[in-house]
Amino acid sequence: MGLCTSEEKAELESLRVQYPELEKAITEYEVSFEQNLMNTAETIPASVDIALKKGLSELVQPAGRIYDIQANYKKRNKLIYAVAAASLVLLCCSLFYNYKLYQLQQNTGALLTKSRTLETLPPGDYKILNDPSITPIAMYGVGSHAICRCTMFWDKRTGKVYIILHHLPFSSDSKDYQLWAYVNGKAVSVGIVKDEIRGRFIEMQNIPADAISFSITLENAGGALTPTESEAYLRGKI
Amino acid sequence: MNNQTTYTENALVRSLKERNNEAFTYLYENYKNALYTVVIQVIPESESAVDVLQEAFITIWKNIEKYDHSKGRLFTWMVKVVRNIAINHRRSKYFQQGQKNDSLDLYVSYIENSASDNGIPINLIGLRKQVHALKKEHMQVLELGYFNGLTQEEISKVLDIPLGTVKTRIRNAIIELRKNFS
Repeated sequence: MGLCTSEEKAELESLRVQYPELEKAITEYEVSFEQNLMNTAETIPASVDIALKKGLSELVQPAGRIYDIQANYKKRNKLIYAVAAASLVLLCCSLFYNYKLYQLQQNTGALLTKSRTLETLPPGDYKILNDPSITPIAMYGVGSHAICRCTMFWDKRTGKVYIILHHLPFSSDSKDYQLWAYVNGKAVSVGIVKDEIRGRFIEMQNIPADAISFSITLENAGGALTPTESEAYLRGKI
Repeated sequence: MNNQTTYTENALVRSLKERNNEAFTYLYENYKNALYTVVIQVIPESESAVDVLQEAFITIWKNIEKYDHSKGRLFTWMVKVVRNIAINHRRSKYFQQGQKNDSLDLYVSYIENSASDNGIPINLIGLRKQVHALKKEHMQVLELGYFNGLTQEEISKVLDIPLGTVKTRIRNAIIELRKNFS
């Protein structure tokens, strides 16, 4: 139940391995605790249930997609053979059309290549990941933004922080993400996060040396004097 | 989320570690009421329940590899996760509101108001209601330790009793609670 000290817990873990009767007693207590909680549980309100399912569906979906791919693998094999046979028949008739498509793809590919360079980390940024004197800080999504993630790498020697956004919706033209550092319980603005930068570090500076936690909130364009806590997207601490 | 499969605890843990989303659906549907009750016993405001429960289920999903069945049942582990997140959420809320979250004076007046001789408050539910049915000295240590997350040392300071007495009362409270479970 979380009521013992860490020393007591360690001692108990050691004793339950040595004494099967103690293990049995603990298990019996856990079973009765579980049964009691399940039998006396309140029914979750429908509004809470719906909100949770919506928030959690995106979490589970990647796993679902993996199972979908595996389940459809056998079907896809047969499909590939059918498509290959049909392509041989249609090849002669569609050569001119394919040539036109190829030209279109070349033009599109040029645009994709230009944007793709932003999706790979530049070689120079990797030194930040490997620098042992830099403190990594994981930032986790808050509330309905639980799926959001970013990582900050704080170089206390220079007061700079390097942020990489793993998952964060783009801000609109009328809004900006703002980074806050918390010192002695007070929020200090670090600045606007350039969230249009993806796939490489966003560099920010003037991080207070004694900050112990951070948050990123969505504010009106230009930023705010104090953080709008209800618009907190990410939080993290050392 | 449709649930058409049931799981034993071992099969459920195994499936969750394999990232089976059907298992996660079962986990959610089977335990959502109990875990919701754990949350509202720590944070009565239901609008916070969504945030806390979502974070809890995400934590459970992402950290299921850390669950060790030799140290306890899955449900017990999940309750600990939910309770810890709820307590941290509440402390964070008080922190943001400018209240000193390390002031034990808040808990002195809180426990004095809780230890009423007028019976069990009618708004209490589930485990908390059962805790408030215990002897006053047992109710106090469980209320402060379990529902408010205070350490044994902090309970000792709030109640102004020796640490050894806190340990004894916790032990006796759990024994008394278990009798009520049976």
